[in-house]
Amino acid sequence: MYAVEVSGLVRRYGRAEALGGVDLRVPEGTVFGLVGPNGAGKTTLIKALVGALRPSEGEVRVLGLRPFGDRARLRRQIGYMPQAPALYEDLSARDNVGFFGAAHRTPDLRKRTDEVLELTNLSDRAGDPVHKLSGGMKRRVSLACALVHQPRMLFLDEPTAAVDPLLRNRLWKTFRGLAGEGVTLFISTHLMDEAMLCDRVSILLGGRVIVSDDPRRILQKGRARLEVRRNGESEERTIGGRPEDLAAALRPYGLESGVEAVSVEEDSLEKVVLSIIGEERR
Amino acid sequence: MRRAFVVARRVVKQLLRNHRFLALSIIAPLVIVYFLKLFFDTLPEGFDVARYAVPVAAFLVHFLAFILCAISLVQERTAGTMERMFVNGFRRVEVIGGYLLGFLGLATFQAVAVLAEAIWLFDLDYAGGTLATLFAVVWLLAIASVMLGIFVSTFARHEGQVFPFVPLIILPSVFLSGMLMDVDELPAWAEWLGHVFPLFWANDVIQEVIKPEGNLGDVTFSFAVLAGYGVVLLLLASLTLREAE
Repeated sequence: MYAVEVSGLVRRYGRAEALGGVDLRVPEGTVFGLVGPNGAGKTTLIKALVGALRPSEGEVRVLGLRPFGDRARLRRQIGYMPQAPALYEDLSARDNVGFFGAAHRTPDLRKRTDEVLELTNLSDRAGDPVHKLSGGMKRRVSLACALVHQPRMLFLDEPTAAVDPLLRNRLWKTFRGLAGEGVTLFISTHLMDEAMLCDRVSILLGGRVIVSDDPRRILQKGRARLEVRRNGESEERTIGGRPEDLAAALRPYGLESGVEAVSVEEDSLEKVVLSIIGEERR
Repeated sequence: MRRAFVVARRVVKQLLRNHRFLALSIIAPLVIVYFLKLFFDTLPEGFDVARYAVPVAAFLVHFLAFILCAISLVQERTAGTMERMFVNGFRRVEVIGGYLLGFLGLATFQAVAVLAEAIWLFDLDYAGGTLATLFAVVWLLAIASVMLGIFVSTFARHEGQVFPFVPLIILPSVFLSGMLMDVDELPAWAEWLGHVFPLFWANDVIQEVIKPEGNLGDVTFSFAVLAGYGVVLLLLASLTLREAE
């Protein structure tokens, strides 16, 4: 079962094409990463999936439902965390979470609000007005608002942008925890180390998906630099990124033939993605 | 409509938490009415103060309800909370209804405070029925103003874009609604144009009921038009407020 099925999705703004025929499938229960540079169309795609933006052409199904045709049924099952905090600054974190929870008739809302504030580590500041919270805390309030009605699927638009590494790590632990409970997560990011934390990623460029795969397999499309020190001399070679490539490169040496040290420097996912983007642009 | 009450509760909560905004929206009209009193005191003896006092009070409620509601809604759009509400299943009728209910509380408070001050400062002596009618007119005008604010907000992408509507809609109504002079003295086209503004109909009812021999029955039509404004603007706002880009 696919949580998201998109085919031929086009969105135009006047003559400009923000999405130019996106095809995408996201299996249910996975953490899916939508990766791409700024302006690639990530936010536009997420907005089309949550029903905040009407596609110019194409088919969209989220949890088997149409974002506009099955509006009421779908919105109960999805949670959306936009790129901007999108909160009421004069209200407290608890009031914000309670407001969005009330939209869905969340049972035992008060208890559920406390639970998500606890999950997002905000219990101590739950009564403070949002304008008094730090940027990272606002992100967590925003996440709590998206989680309060226990959605089956979460759409998070760059949830860790401008967030310090400690909080990012904590947020990703929360995401993985939710995935462990069966929630499907659709996360947009331009950070490649985050893409490695996803079960599957799609790289979006200029409004088109150029690669969709397991991030570890994408990594294998890169190169690696192999350095072997033998009998006091260093030899360097560039090899493929797959484990089989490394094994093949090492085979001629043999461990008994004076090999003193072997080091392998693999391309980062960022480098691989950049080279894929570079090839695509050529 | 349950969700309209959820929105209304949140709007009221926001208004109550924003002390500066709340104080300004209540104190500012009271101060302006006092300035009006100072101005009228400089005019020669025998000047008909009653003809202006209540209409000006009504105008202040009209202007403030319009601008505060329009700006609050535009802020919802710029902050992204409007989009978030729609993604969370709120419908535009519920958002409009919630805003109407929320801001009506503020507008009612403004109407009572400003009318009470005007009547006290200008030493106006009206019967209970007249006072009730005046309050009803200012209140209906406030509903039309909130709806106008919601309608106008749909054309503004940020707060700054609300202000051009003030000289476009609010200020002409001061001159063409009959608040400052008799509309019969205006050129025919200007008199006709005056009928477009809700303040025209509010002023028509006010001028009739404050006359010693005034009869509400003579201005039932104006009263109905004023009430109708709220309904028409509600329909227009629900047509122009978009749930998705």
